[in-house]
Amino acid sequence: MKSKLFIYTALAAGLLNSTACKKQLEEKAYSQLTTDAFYNNKNEVVSAVLRPYTHANAWVTPSGQDGWWRPAELSGDQLAWPTKGRHGEDGGKWKRLHYHTWFNDEGGLNNAWSLMYWGMGLCNDPIENLGKRDIASMGITQAEKDSYIAELKLLRAFHYLKLMDLFGNIPVVTQVGIPAKPETRPRAEVFKFIETEIKDNIAKAPKLSRTQLGRMSQAGAYAMLVELYLNAEVWTGTARWDDCIAAADQLINNAGGGQNGVMALDPNITDQFKTTNDLSKEVIFSIAYNYSVANFQPSWPSEFYHFKQQEIYGGGRNGNDGIVVIPGVYTTYDASDLRRSNWLLIGPQVKFSDGVSPVLASEEYNGSQLVFVDNIRKNKSNSTVSNMSEGEENSGVRFNKYKLGNQVPGPGGVPAIDPNYNNGDWNIYRLTWIYFAKAEALMRKNGGAANATAVQLINDCKKRAFSDADWATRAYTTATLTLDELLAERGREFIFEGFRRDDLIRFGKFNTASWWDHSPTAATRALYPIPQQQRDLNGNLAQNPGY
Amino acid sequence: MKFKDLLKFSFSLLLLMCATMAQAQNKQVSGKVTDSKTGESLAGVTVAAKGTTAGATTDVNGSFRLSVPASATTLTVSYLGYDSKDVAITGNNPINITLDANSTTLNEVKVVSIGYGTQDQSKVTSAITRVTPDDFRQSGSRNALDLIQGKVAGLAITRTSGTNPNGGVSVQLRGAVSVSSANSPLIVIDGIPNGNLDLLQQDDVESIDVIKDGSGAAIYGSIASGGVILVTTKKGKNGPPTVNYSSYARKEYLNQRLKFLSADEYRQRIASGEIKQKDFGNSTDFIDQLINKDNLSQNHNLSFSGGTEKTTYRASLNYRDLQGIAKENGRKEYTIRLNMTQKSLNDRLRLYADLTTNINRANLLGGGGWESELTKNPTLSNYNPDGSYRFDLTSTNEFARLQQETYYRKQQTTSANAKADIDIVKGLTGSVAGSVIRDSYIDGQYRLKASENSLENTDFPGGGYAYKGDYLRFDYNFEPTLQYKNTFFEKHNLTALAGYSYRYSIFETSSASNRGFINDLFREDNLAQGSALAVGKASISSNKEDNTLVALFGRLQYSYQGKYLLQGTVRREGSSRFGAANKFGFFPAVNAGWVLSEEDFIKKHKFINFLKLRGGYGETGNSGFANYASLVTLGGGGRYIYPDGSYFETYGPTRNPNPNLKWEVKKETDIGVEFAMFDNRLTGQIDYYKRTVKDLLDTYVSPQPPFIQSSIYTNVGTLSASGLEFAFGYAAINSGDFRWNVDATFTYALSNKLDSYSNDEYKVLYKTFAGIGGAGDLGNAITTYEGANTGEFWGKRFAGFTPDGKWLFYNRNGVAVPNSQINISKDANTTDLAKIGNAIPKAYASLTNKFAYKSFDLRFFLRGRFGNDILNTPALSYANRTWSGNLLKSTFTKYSQINDTYQYSDYYIENGSFVKLDEVTLGYNFKFKTKYLRNVRLYVTGQNLATITKYTGTDPDYIRDTGLDPGVDNRSAYPSTRSFLVGLNVGF
Repeated sequence: MKSKLFIYTALAAGLLNSTACKKQLEEKAYSQLTTDAFYNNKNEVVSAVLRPYTHANAWVTPSGQDGWWRPAELSGDQLAWPTKGRHGEDGGKWKRLHYHTWFNDEGGLNNAWSLMYWGMGLCNDPIENLGKRDIASMGITQAEKDSYIAELKLLRAFHYLKLMDLFGNIPVVTQVGIPAKPETRPRAEVFKFIETEIKDNIAKAPKLSRTQLGRMSQAGAYAMLVELYLNAEVWTGTARWDDCIAAADQLINNAGGGQNGVMALDPNITDQFKTTNDLSKEVIFSIAYNYSVANFQPSWPSEFYHFKQQEIYGGGRNGNDGIVVIPGVYTTYDASDLRRSNWLLIGPQVKFSDGVSPVLASEEYNGSQLVFVDNIRKNKSNSTVSNMSEGEENSGVRFNKYKLGNQVPGPGGVPAIDPNYNNGDWNIYRLTWIYFAKAEALMRKNGGAANATAVQLINDCKKRAFSDADWATRAYTTATLTLDELLAERGREFIFEGFRRDDLIRFGKFNTASWWDHSPTAATRALYPIPQQQRDLNGNLAQNPGY
Repeated sequence: MKFKDLLKFSFSLLLLMCATMAQAQNKQVSGKVTDSKTGESLAGVTVAAKGTTAGATTDVNGSFRLSVPASATTLTVSYLGYDSKDVAITGNNPINITLDANSTTLNEVKVVSIGYGTQDQSKVTSAITRVTPDDFRQSGSRNALDLIQGKVAGLAITRTSGTNPNGGVSVQLRGAVSVSSANSPLIVIDGIPNGNLDLLQQDDVESIDVIKDGSGAAIYGSIASGGVILVTTKKGKNGPPTVNYSSYARKEYLNQRLKFLSADEYRQRIASGEIKQKDFGNSTDFIDQLINKDNLSQNHNLSFSGGTEKTTYRASLNYRDLQGIAKENGRKEYTIRLNMTQKSLNDRLRLYADLTTNINRANLLGGGGWESELTKNPTLSNYNPDGSYRFDLTSTNEFARLQQETYYRKQQTTSANAKADIDIVKGLTGSVAGSVIRDSYIDGQYRLKASENSLENTDFPGGGYAYKGDYLRFDYNFEPTLQYKNTFFEKHNLTALAGYSYRYSIFETSSASNRGFINDLFREDNLAQGSALAVGKASISSNKEDNTLVALFGRLQYSYQGKYLLQGTVRREGSSRFGAANKFGFFPAVNAGWVLSEEDFIKKHKFINFLKLRGGYGETGNSGFANYASLVTLGGGGRYIYPDGSYFETYGPTRNPNPNLKWEVKKETDIGVEFAMFDNRLTGQIDYYKRTVKDLLDTYVSPQPPFIQSSIYTNVGTLSASGLEFAFGYAAINSGDFRWNVDATFTYALSNKLDSYSNDEYKVLYKTFAGIGGAGDLGNAITTYEGANTGEFWGKRFAGFTPDGKWLFYNRNGVAVPNSQINISKDANTTDLAKIGNAIPKAYASLTNKFAYKSFDLRFFLRGRFGNDILNTPALSYANRTWSGNLLKSTFTKYSQINDTYQYSDYYIENGSFVKLDEVTLGYNFKFKTKYLRNVRLYVTGQNLATITKYTGTDPDYIRDTGLDPGVDNRSAYPSTRSFLVGLNVGF
């Protein structure tokens, strides 16, 4: 009996291994897609091609996450996230960015690495999948296939450009999962890879047009080249000023196309940042939000807005009362500079809806009017100590460059409700920046002195920020546009746009200058450390010098 | 009556029948059997004529009548729980017999469930603890596991949501077994794995058996690493019909709340300049407005049961209305449980059927918002001067919310199971069991147009909010088994079991919400009427998942002369969740036992009544992770603009593939001793366990590049634990009218370690747990380094304050420095952070004292937790003047020096040990001289009567102690309550 039982058991155990049984254990995913069952029509292809763009929102914009933007701005001399009362200590991460005392295993930097390489992988994946499938099975033409792959390769180059910007020496991988432990490549090699990728694919990629809104295009590719060459001296040791000028001219001459007709500077300082900035003529590459139809909304309010910001602009979004303008930056703007009044927020705040009643604060000044001040200290306790630890809820001048629009009408119905509320795009590159780059290249070539072309380029941009009456005395001349002045003007024009760290490095100030609560640091701090977390996983990653 | 008794009873009946047939040569004997102490009649007592086959059992009145051969001279009278007795047959009828109750319980033939069967406790070779209704906590369970909290050594049951009637319990056996997967034990109800606890009402529970060790749990394979809890419900019994009614009513009172300033005190502190905040002119106790002072919970259970030798039945109807200490926080439910058994084919076929359904309606609106209301500036009001509710953007008016919103869940859970046993040949029984559990609910929410949530929504201001969601789940279970049981040469007892198990589970959900209604009339009953839908701002979602488990299992039990015990178990199991390369797991176990008290060298020591040594080794698995975790799936990445300007969803890979994904393996060794001494007055069970969990599943950081995602769900690490468990029972006094019994349990954790978290591919040097929360992003409180103890708090070491109240901490060299100079890197070579405590309790203990005097009984139940630290987050956040609202009183005493932002350090780590007087019950058993009333018991219970602790935050009993992330106090903890309960049980 006993032995029979065992025989039956053994038989049954055999059955359990049979294919029928294994089939029974195959998973059926009802609410998720698998890769093998995808790429069967054009819409599926497009939705895979577009995936890295929604992801880029997380790392390239001030999204509330530790991506590229925070380390690119908060280590500079314009913006900081000071501790404000009970808020903002955040493990000291903001202070370390400000003081340049970040660790090798800084969580935020690892997160940035991770988010950016994730985005890179989201390019590799469709490049691979499109590449191995024939066009008939995907329902697209060969031209479309080539164009998508070129676009994705350019977008991948963009990821590498920004990774190289932060970390310098990084691994370059073009296939998912291969090699298992990629090696660090020196920055010059990475530079070369990016440059080659751009040059090889630029012609196959679509030109910028209304249908390429929010996506990589020939225009975006030229802008990447401008950025590469502008920083080539720092990044590779070899200056490429002429290449920089040539790439900039391609954009200035509309060779990469334009989002709204011929690419040109916008006539004012607001078209680029308002809720309908998809109509801007100067935008080159942006993350295209649309809350009205897609619930895809800008991510930056969490970084900049006060807990009760919505009352100030008449919308529905607030923030973490985080990033503010470092004391003194506000006053580098001329009082008549429209950028100061339009892009920055200071002073007592009133409700948008009536323009009169005060917006009430909610922390130190709970129940009293919210007044943003150009200092960071504990005014409530009459303290004069100003540093990264001693802020209050109203400390610092605030971001007001991009606008969310208003959901409620202003006093007496003016302005009316903005139908494009929460729809504004985030510009990654815009033509003004190309103008500045070309001007700088001209000056650098010229031993640091401006020539008439350089002055003209900067003045074309700057004069939009002044009334005609004020402009006459504010225009640059070849005498007044020094390199130092160019750096200052870059600060005023591109504040919040993610370029400040690069600028300070290129102008030799990043490790040598002091500002507010920051003292000079070692030159090696110009590169962030390769996150120790990544090095623990991949022994082939070398650490940057100085860490 | 247990199964064994049933057999005895049937056997006796059989004897009786034989006896009747042979009536001619016989004489009649009749009499009555009563308890020697209480004088109560004893029903079901076996009365047999010694040396003959004649026998009978007593009826409900304790009377018996039997016909015995003329030669018979002695009656043997035996009854479960009583000492057997021989009585001479005299000529005098009736014979009155009194029986003495056994002094302890272990002397009973105690049967425990072992999974796919039962076994005499004395023969069990793995660590199993049985708890029966006599020992259940009597404070009125909200969840069936409440009944055994503190009763089983090694089983931690924590109510992290306090006495919230809609809150569950956090359960863990012998420490954490997983980092990311399930840690809770497998619940098996009447043989159905993954039983639904909602279906269990306390009056329906016959017993709860807890299988603690791996060798016992291995029969449940890949889902049993957390241990197994087997619940057996009451069944009908052969005998006269009985009716039981039991009920209780309970009232709860606020026991302890965090000590915040009153409005007057707050005002005084403003006046004195200690608080730089505004006085808004009101005086409000915000918490008081959330408290349901009129709470009254009640439970009514009516059951009737009975049966014949061939058929038994039991039906139980339960109504329960649980009301929380919070307003709008309750649960009403009805449960019906039906059970039938029948024997046919000359008793060779036995059929069982159970049908249970629970219908409940939970009010989920209230029960939260405590932190918000505790910490509001008390000079504010819930109302504006004009009488409308006061709303502001940075807080929620919780009181108004209770009036202006609704949130309910209507749920029905049904379980049907059937089983057929058939005796094929002698000793061989085949069984087929099948079950289906259907669980479904609908959630509904509505927020009035005038509610805060609605008014503060800027897309549809004042447009209301409606939500409806549903859930439907089926769990199918099919298990054929074969069992062979025989005794060879009177010495060799063998039981062999083989079985197949198929389980399939599927669930579907959908939900939708909308805003922008023109009036409040539809509420959530006409969702499409909201205007948010048309403009794409309504939300809709649905999901469906399933999984399958198949297994073959076998068990062999052998005992020699009831002295030497051996057991082997195997289970081979496959799960759809496992990766393609690892579809099947193998889970073996082996146990041995030695009943020393059957050996002569022990028998000569008369003070030892029973002594057993046992040991076991077993492997179990844990597959309590998400469905589809091994597949490469594409997930939506948000919508983006298409060339035509419209927006569509984008798709990209959401996970790195892992075809090797498999179960976690727990290997556990258990050595135990069970004993009874001094006339069975002292009984005990001592266990030592050592376990290792291998192939720990977690989200590991994958190298990027080349992988797309930063993480991969894979098996890497190893976790280990060892500990000791003690359970003792002592019949301290057993004299006449007075009895005093003591039960004690003690659990001691010898070690809890994360042995490794790396392999060749994945390397993790440390892992952090337990978010501190609150403003200032303080990160996680617990850091577990590879190779170190689990549960360690790692943080800054407090070194004092500067004269102006700024934090000073010790750096790694022991020098007090300002915060800005503290290195908080996790790199052990540079960090200034240090180990500042451990959140995992070293020990648990409980003590039950039961007194009985005549018809009175009294019970004290104490339980405690020792040797753990708790991070006092309420003090961290609200004993610091940087907070603009209400402050703890200690802000101005113990914490008065702080003039700085929030910091996490050992300054807020406190000893979390406590002892709680959990329950005191006083009962009285009425005696009526009528045969219509079998028993009437009235009792009162006080629960959570006193807590002794040095901890200064919330009630430490409700702070989670399970998992790898315990020990962080909850700023918004459900208030601790003290309750009083009056209960009545009537049987007739």
